[in-house]
Amino acid sequence: MKKQLVLSLALVSGAAFISGCASDAHYVETGGRENIVNVGRINIQDYIQAADTLVQDLKGSGVLTKVANPPAVLAISRIVNNTSQQLDTDILIKKIRVSLSNGGQAVTTTTMGIGGHAEDPLAKSISDETAFMNDQKTTRLPDFSLSGKIIETTARAGSTRQSTYSFQLSLTDKSGLAVWEGEKEITKQGARSSVGF
Amino acid sequence: MKKLILLPLVLAAGLAAFTGCTTVNTVENANKEGQRNMIADQRAITDGSLARKVSIVGVNTSMTPGGLLRVQVELQNRTRSLKRFVYRFEWFDANGMQVNNIISAQTPDSIEGMESKFISAVAPKQNCTDFRVKFLELN
Repeated sequence: MKKQLVLSLALVSGAAFISGCASDAHYVETGGRENIVNVGRINIQDYIQAADTLVQDLKGSGVLTKVANPPAVLAISRIVNNTSQQLDTDILIKKIRVSLSNGGQAVTTTTMGIGGHAEDPLAKSISDETAFMNDQKTTRLPDFSLSGKIIETTARAGSTRQSTYSFQLSLTDKSGLAVWEGEKEITKQGARSSVGF
Repeated sequence: MKKLILLPLVLAAGLAAFTGCTTVNTVENANKEGQRNMIADQRAITDGSLARKVSIVGVNTSMTPGGLLRVQVELQNRTRSLKRFVYRFEWFDANGMQVNNIISAQTPDSIEGMESKFISAVAPKQNCTDFRVKFLELN
């Protein structure tokens, strides 16, 4: 009897110990200090930081205001992923687009893309139809195209790992010259993943 | 016995040397060509510990070619060791309303012992007239 009591007490305390260590699911601020940090992965806070720095640099340069008919029209070109991860570059690019659009500095064309692929095929059809009916081109040609690359550099010393992610962007004008170029590097170091900066 | 007492002392000294203080020496031109537009700032200090370690020396502003407000904050590490912190800029329009910014990042940063450094940001929109910077100490 005594044995059974001790056993059940041990089980209960064991379960309490295990559940005490794990944190219950809860909401955290996206990009905030409670976010999980992985050394070998690009985390959401890295994308936000990179987008924030690059957009501020681009806006600060004043390049976008030099177009004849503001706001500037942007076309999104190729964003090369040179990391070991599979990632959707729109996490970075969309933030930049939204910030430029909200700020009134630039708008992005959704009817022009690499290889003639429109981001919004319906919008392209409507634009083509309108141009045909009016017998004149309605689509404004982009003032700039935005291209870029994400690069990963890793290093290791014993159990400590280090990853550097370079976010590179170039803004090219109609003459084919890169009128603005920006780079943001984010380096993370540690032996294991953690929560917070 | 004596050996046993000496060993932890040596270990402690070694550890102190490893984690030791590293401070920054600087040199700059004495006769400045540029003129900073320093502004009066208002501070709300809730973390006295951080404010004592990393203090705000001054705040200056300028306008970008595109007419956006650019803010620069000078920080000084008053201690002799590296300090880590995170900061975030917030922007307000002429009516005091906060301007929504999709990529208002919390930026982690660090400052070496006795180092002076600048952090800066550009307003997301032309209607941003005021700003606020929040600092948080990291362990």
